[in-house]
Amino acid sequence: MVQERRILYEHLDVPDINTFDVFRQYDGYKRFEKAINEYQPDDISKMVMDSGLKGRGGAGFSTGLKWSFVPKDIKPCYLCCNADESEPGTFSNRYVLERNPHLLIEGILICCYAMGIETTYVYIRGEFTLGKKMLDAAIAEASAKGYLGKNILGTGLDVDIYTHPGAGAYICGEETGLIESLEGKRGQPRNKPPFPAVEGVFKKPTVVQNVETLCNLPFIVGNGVEWYTQMGPTYGDARFDPPKPDPNTGTKLYCISGDVNKPGVYELDLGLTCTELIEVAGGLRGEEVKAVIPGGSSAPILTHYELDTRLDFTSLTLAKSMLGSGGIIVMNETRNIVDCLLNIMKFYAHESCGQCTPCRWGTPWVRDIVQRIADGKGRQSTITRPKFGIAENGRWGDTGETEEIYEDLDLLESVANNIANVDTMTWNTICVFGIAVSWPAVSYMRKFRPEFEACIREGKLVTLSVAEATMKPEENYAYQQRIIPREME
Amino acid sequence: MAFIKLNDLEVEVEDGTNVVEAARQHGIEVPHYCYHPGLSRPANCRMCLVEPYVFFPPAGAIVPDRQLATGCTTVLRTAPPDRKLDGKYDFIVQTDSPRVKKAREDILEFLLVHHPLDCPVCDQAGECDLQDFSYRHGHDKSRYLEVKNVPPKKDLGPDVLLYSTRCIVCTRCIRFCDEVSGSGELGLIHRGSHDEIDIPRNHGGAPLQLLDNKLAGNVVDICPVGALISKDFLFKSRPWFMKKTNSICAGCSVGCNITLEYKEDGVYRLKPRFHGEINQHWMCDDGRLGYHYVNSDDRLQLPLKRVDGELTPTHWADALALITEKLLGTEAADVAPEDIVVIGSAQGTNEDNYVLQQFAHDVLKTTQVGLFGQLPGEEHKFPQFTIEADKNPNTAGARTILGAANGNVVLEGDALWERVAGAKVVYLVSGGPERPLEAAESAALEKVDFLVVQDVLPSDVTQLADVVLPGTTFAEKDGTFTNSTGWVQRIRKTIDAPGEARVDWEITQQLAKQLGGEMNYHFAGEIALAIAENVPGYGEATHQKVGDEGVKLT
Ligand SMILES: Cc1cc2nc3c(=O)[nH]c(=O)nc-3n(C[C@H](O)[C@H](O)[C@H](O)COP(=O)(O)O)c2cc1C
Ligand code: SF4
Ligand code: SF4
Ligand code: SF4
Repeated sequence: MVQERRILYEHLDVPDINTFDVFRQYDGYKRFEKAINEYQPDDISKMVMDSGLKGRGGAGFSTGLKWSFVPKDIKPCYLCCNADESEPGTFSNRYVLERNPHLLIEGILICCYAMGIETTYVYIRGEFTLGKKMLDAAIAEASAKGYLGKNILGTGLDVDIYTHPGAGAYICGEETGLIESLEGKRGQPRNKPPFPAVEGVFKKPTVVQNVETLCNLPFIVGNGVEWYTQMGPTYGDARFDPPKPDPNTGTKLYCISGDVNKPGVYELDLGLTCTELIEVAGGLRGEEVKAVIPGGSSAPILTHYELDTRLDFTSLTLAKSMLGSGGIIVMNETRNIVDCLLNIMKFYAHESCGQCTPCRWGTPWVRDIVQRIADGKGRQSTITRPKFGIAENGRWGDTGETEEIYEDLDLLESVANNIANVDTMTWNTICVFGIAVSWPAVSYMRKFRPEFEACIREGKLVTLSVAEATMKPEENYAYQQRIIPREME
Repeated sequence: MAFIKLNDLEVEVEDGTNVVEAARQHGIEVPHYCYHPGLSRPANCRMCLVEPYVFFPPAGAIVPDRQLATGCTTVLRTAPPDRKLDGKYDFIVQTDSPRVKKAREDILEFLLVHHPLDCPVCDQAGECDLQDFSYRHGHDKSRYLEVKNVPPKKDLGPDVLLYSTRCIVCTRCIRFCDEVSGSGELGLIHRGSHDEIDIPRNHGGAPLQLLDNKLAGNVVDICPVGALISKDFLFKSRPWFMKKTNSICAGCSVGCNITLEYKEDGVYRLKPRFHGEINQHWMCDDGRLGYHYVNSDDRLQLPLKRVDGELTPTHWADALALITEKLLGTEAADVAPEDIVVIGSAQGTNEDNYVLQQFAHDVLKTTQVGLFGQLPGEEHKFPQFTIEADKNPNTAGARTILGAANGNVVLEGDALWERVAGAKVVYLVSGGPERPLEAAESAALEKVDFLVVQDVLPSDVTQLADVVLPGTTFAEKDGTFTNSTGWVQRIRKTIDAPGEARVDWEITQQLAKQLGGEMNYHFAGEIALAIAENVPGYGEATHQKVGDEGVKLT
């Protein structure tokens, strides 16, 4: 039985850990003191790079690499802490804000010291009123104790933290949307490049980092890189020759919800499989796993054939999905995938910022098509066509069979791929919200095609058994690419 | 200069040019909606996607980049020697690869899903980028079966209507109001597919601010579709029925470059034409909507003479004979040359004024030359545009040219009216929209024995005249204007002058001939040659050289 490894969440349940004094008893701010007393800023950046820390907000981009893109000669430089946690199925940042806000402040301080930053903005999801209140109180307390403000602990270091509540738009979690919103404009993502690291808040270099990412910093500094890199697997990145090490180090706050007996946030080493995770969360509620969403609603879905996929950045990328925000949603045999997709598409159609053409008008279109299928009004053609698949020679080609044409499924796939193409991973949109729409749309439809077809054929919402609803692994477009980590072979 | 491989072409472009402009310079269309050369570049329509090539080290080859790039924000620059592609190119880009073509089709399909396709009743049809690009780059049918959004039609301001259903949310109009006029009236409301352009409103929907700045009309021009519509032009004409001629706005001394659109029965609209040093892409609404006097039913169509105190229509021979009689006839003995004042117009062309001063100098032998024009208005400054207070298009030119043979003495203002009060014969050329007279001015004109007025509309000035000669507006003649910054620019004849109205310099020349003068110009360009020869600074200002771009005075 896999055990939780609580690091970020270790003291979450300690009474009054949100106050400076209690936090201090549990090593609070000592890691920051260690950083300023024992290390130069560049040492910290190097430690973060060596630790292999990857952003926990969604993109999984190497934090050390991101810091290295920030020009050193342009000042001021800003830190934006992304606490806009609004990805459906994700709720780990919230607990840090509400229960242990000083940990975030310490992480921010270490980042600011490393990057020579004097101003930090924490962009908090508007609904997190309690989180904001707790963080504001903690900031006031830390300032009073001399850990924030001018000349911190007499070292000449200045750091100010400002909290900024969002106004209820999912897209303000996207880093440049966040920056626009912070600047007082409509929350619409910017064209990249320039990336925020070069031109962000008020046109100055800006580091945007998720709450969880920043909370990792005190532990990297406090316990050292070696300790940190022991957690989680490291792969060889096969895109390079010779393969570069691709670390998936540290723990992840997995937010497990859906059909499990004990939903909640579990802090675990990166690299556990879906099956293990479900076990940790008290086991499945129901008979069978039908599907698992591995990284927030934007991530492509996994079928019951793919439950041995490891939930880390690399393995999920190879399985054509993503770890994203670590929001894991488990679905049992009673769930209808068409209905589930409809739910998600309603969310995205509502949340598209409307700035760029494909997403503005494509997303509601996708929603409407799924709605039609769910309503039993999906279109099926009266003619059939040659079926393509694994042919006799073992290659992809004409199988010699015929298949029925489900026009609306073709349309759904085509429209979604025109927003952002999941096969070539290219998009015509400004931000990656586009791929966050087409990923679920295409993956749900391809992996659970029989269920979609049944809804169209029978003219109503039908839920098939798990075995019937799921495409066979060999016909699943993503299954072949999936790698099984070496030690599991 | 950057050396670019653009499709199959090898071309040089200025550093800093974007792909859309570079392609345009070489006759290749990169369709786009949100990009406008005069505005910032949000790259939100995604229509101008092109395929850049990059060096891919693992393959050791130059390959198409993984993502397409927006042509409007892809800026071409000279690359450092070690970053050249293929050893020589600063950039390689394809604007017509299969991937690009597919992307265009897809974007156009999205643009049309909520569009009402009401071209048959849409003002923009015929000059609509959505129509044109759909035709050239789009699908031939729609796969959209769902219900379309129907956002409301909105009245945004005195001259602008918004047909929201046709809007493709390119935000050009918003950016114009933010960046060029600086007035910021427009914004987006709602989100996603419910995005709408709107002005600020209270909760009841009543407008808190109207789109009524003096540059508002430009948003109609830059709207790539038929969403923003000018009330002035609404349902007046199909664009393809109008002829279009390059001209200059006569509304003030800025001298905005325009395209004058007209049919046989009159002028239909003015649209700004790009001039990098004068008006950029814009013009103001005073100029844009100020053409109506040209089409007025009140236009002077026949010469008038005063009979029993009333102005009565007559024919040209009679009117000219009356003037000749006054200057050569029995009464003429007591009219000394210095008793005659000739007043040119800042509304007239350089050519009109040149003939006029030649008439004064050579034929009438008078040195009393004055300048008349519209009353000054207000100056309006915007972040990227200025409307000048001088409401005449040619004050600078008229002043120089009228004084050319006269030691540069041109009477203006109080000095003019003082002189007029003591004159016996005054030949006053006016023109342009109706010019009200101030008390001192009419008092001076009333004292004149014999007042000849050449104008286009009945006005305070013609009311005092003994003979009225019908002249022409800027839309009805050829010539040049000199703006306040010294640019000489061409206006061109578009419509015919109404009735028997004649081009101003022709009238003056006819008079000169009747009085024995030796003037024989056949067309305005010939006069411009004489100006170039005789007026300092105008050496380059022949019609040929002025062309469409203008010539700056030296
Ligand atoms: C549509 C969209 C929504 C996002 N929402 C969030 C969010 O709520 N919280 C977050 O931390 N990152 C979010 N991100 C990811 C951010 O853009 C960015 O990658 C992240 O904040 C970087 O921090 P990290 O490197 O520490 O993960 C979102 C991205 C997209 C495209
Ligand atoms: S992809 Fe969607 S969310 Fe992102 S900028 Fe475009 S319209 Fe906005
Ligand atoms: S905006 Fe263009 S495409 Fe639309 S109705 Fe008008 S002319 Fe037709
Ligand atoms: S009204 Fe016209 S200019 Fe304004 S956003 Fe819509 S399409 Fe663009």
